[in-house]
Amino acid sequence: MSIVHKDTPSTKWYLPGILSGMGLTIKKLFYNLFHRKKMPTLNYPEEKYEYSPRFKGNHVLTVKKDGSLRCTACMLCATNCPADCITIVAAEHEDPTVEKYPIHYEIDILRCVFCGFCEEACPVDAIRMGPEWQTPGLADDNFHYDIQRLAYRPQLKGGILSRVDDEERHQFGL
Amino acid sequence: MLKCKINGVEVEVKEGTTIIEAFKIAGQKIAHYCWHPGLSVAGVCRLCMVEIKGQPRLQIACNTPVQDGMEITNQSEQVKETVRWGLDFHLINHPLDCPICDQAGECGLQDQYMEFGLYTPEMAEPKVKKHKVVDLGSKIVLDTERCILCSRCVRFTAEVTKTYELGIFNRGDRSEIGTFENKPLENNYALNTVDICPVGALTSKDFRFRQRVWYLQERESICTGCSTGCNIKIYFNEEGLFRIRPVYNEKVNGYWMCDEGRNIYKFVNKENRLLKAKKGRKGEWLEMEGGAAAKDVAHHFKSLDKERIALVVTGQFSNEEYEALFQFYKKNVGNDFVYHWINNKESFEDFDGLLLRGDRNPNTKGLLQKLEDYRYEQTWAHLEENLKAGKIETLIVAGPENPLWFPDLKEKVQQWGIQLSHLIWLSSAKVQAVDEVECLTWQIPLKTFFEKDGTYVNYQGLEQKSHRIATIVPGALSLSEAAHLMAGEEYKVDMAPILKGPKKNYYVHRRGYL
Ligand code: SF4
Ligand code: SF4
Ligand code: SF4
Ligand code: SF4
Ligand code: FES
Repeated sequence: MSIVHKDTPSTKWYLPGILSGMGLTIKKLFYNLFHRKKMPTLNYPEEKYEYSPRFKGNHVLTVKKDGSLRCTACMLCATNCPADCITIVAAEHEDPTVEKYPIHYEIDILRCVFCGFCEEACPVDAIRMGPEWQTPGLADDNFHYDIQRLAYRPQLKGGILSRVDDEERHQFGL
Repeated sequence: MLKCKINGVEVEVKEGTTIIEAFKIAGQKIAHYCWHPGLSVAGVCRLCMVEIKGQPRLQIACNTPVQDGMEITNQSEQVKETVRWGLDFHLINHPLDCPICDQAGECGLQDQYMEFGLYTPEMAEPKVKKHKVVDLGSKIVLDTERCILCSRCVRFTAEVTKTYELGIFNRGDRSEIGTFENKPLENNYALNTVDICPVGALTSKDFRFRQRVWYLQERESICTGCSTGCNIKIYFNEEGLFRIRPVYNEKVNGYWMCDEGRNIYKFVNKENRLLKAKKGRKGEWLEMEGGAAAKDVAHHFKSLDKERIALVVTGQFSNEEYEALFQFYKKNVGNDFVYHWINNKESFEDFDGLLLRGDRNPNTKGLLQKLEDYRYEQTWAHLEENLKAGKIETLIVAGPENPLWFPDLKEKVQQWGIQLSHLIWLSSAKVQAVDEVECLTWQIPLKTFFEKDGTYVNYQGLEQKSHRIATIVPGALSLSEAAHLMAGEEYKVDMAPILKGPKKNYYVHRRGYL
């Protein structure tokens, strides 16, 4: 940031600046008193602002039709993550059509910069950035979100369905 | 000698050289799958197309010998076009499951596609479905959909191991790799097929899904699994070592290595290592750093009866370490009670006809040479006799790096624990039996081949240098460092960087075995 020092009488003296500032404050105060509907601020937390569903907030791991995780543990999201906050441990699935799945998937949400690169990297729409943004916690809370929280937290009502479906792909002969 | 021009680069090659070899000599890139320098020529993938001046049709480089004055190129539009559509044919029935494929990142299909392909697929027909996750025994998993039928693996089992397990079954686009009557692929060289498979059709069970390859660094070293001393590449990252692959060395191992040798990385990883030095006896151990323990030994050494000390060495260390250890022994002890611990006497001279030798020590030759230089000529029977007679009180043991190949280890240690009053145990491996000895013992953790520089002499008498790469156990000493410290000298222990922190993305390109 560069600071420009202007050496004019209005900046050199104390009162002109203060008075013009106070003037603006008082003008807005009276305007808002008479136009309460147009007031831009909210009485948070009683009133909440609804973000667009496209807002990039807390992550969601999507699920397949049978409710199991869509993620194939390819680790592309972890590779792409600039904050290095995704930890995945892959394992062999009994079902040969699934083959690989994550037994452990963790996002260190305090390190996450909400850039959405993970969402972009995922080849199977397994991770999305959800609209939730209010997830405060106390100091001893767990900010390493695990599979349970990412895919099956109560707000998601049993999980969000992924757009990529293997059965469909097989039907198309892919 | 024949002269030819490869993409405008003039090279001279021997009579009988194929064009693809000439390309390698000239340092020019050429697409190929089925050709492998260690196997016969099959000429099935049709990807190595080149244009030869004066010949109307394109030829495959892997099966055409160079003739004098040939002008060969693979840069012409016609060649590029042919390779591109050749690749398209290879990928018609390919499942493209790179996200779950272990080969992704070092895959021949990915590399060639990025280099020669880059087309838009024009196939509208459904893909032919084959078998996924086929279990080929305890080591390998096969995915027949990913296979491009280059037949490298089939030729390997036919030409190198001569075990003929693999074959191509069915015809046309239903052809599949498989084993006859689904017999498992269990020979001791089977994992080489995983290395040479240009795609992810054959994957190793040991490595499957444990890491993505771009998280691994690679460094060359020498296998310490037996006295052949194969040249290897170690793949590791901040979490430890993950796999080992062979490196070409004409004099030693050619292109291959055995499957048992691929397991040596496990004995370098923390799980199987002695992490801290300890002093004491069963039930009452005092933990300390390696250097402190060695100094403590030096302190105690003065009070020991020099005529009742003996030294036991295994063939697991480098020449430099033997030198330092024997120097120490000569100066500080002076007797000639030095014994060579031969781990598997019955099978010591065995050889499986390819690479693996019965002598499971990397440097027996070097040790024997050093023993001769120092005129230490005692036999093992002499040690047993002396122990029985109670003539030996203190035993210094430079023990195994890999306890698996010392079947008599437990029994020996138990026996020593009763017969001795002091045991100085130097080893990198965690050995349960040593924790249970009754006599006063110092356990000093040693470095493995991965953590130190050293020269190893293989069975042919060939000296090979192995370089230190990184440190896994920070407190560990090399045998020479331990010898210097035990002699009571001031000595600065040098260490390679420690592996720690989160794993990083090391971008890998063209790592595959094409
Ligand atoms: S949003 Fe960005 S920082 Fe956060 S987990 Fe995804 S890739 Fe990493
Ligand atoms: S979330 Fe997507 S990108 Fe990340 S590991 Fe799972 S499948 Fe791969
Ligand atoms: S073999 Fe190569 S192209 Fe095929 S799925 Fe595996 S990584 Fe992808
Ligand atoms: S399994 Fe691999 S090596 Fe064997 S034929 Fe198929 S692609 Fe080639
Ligand atoms: S046909 Fe030449 S490499 Fe396959």
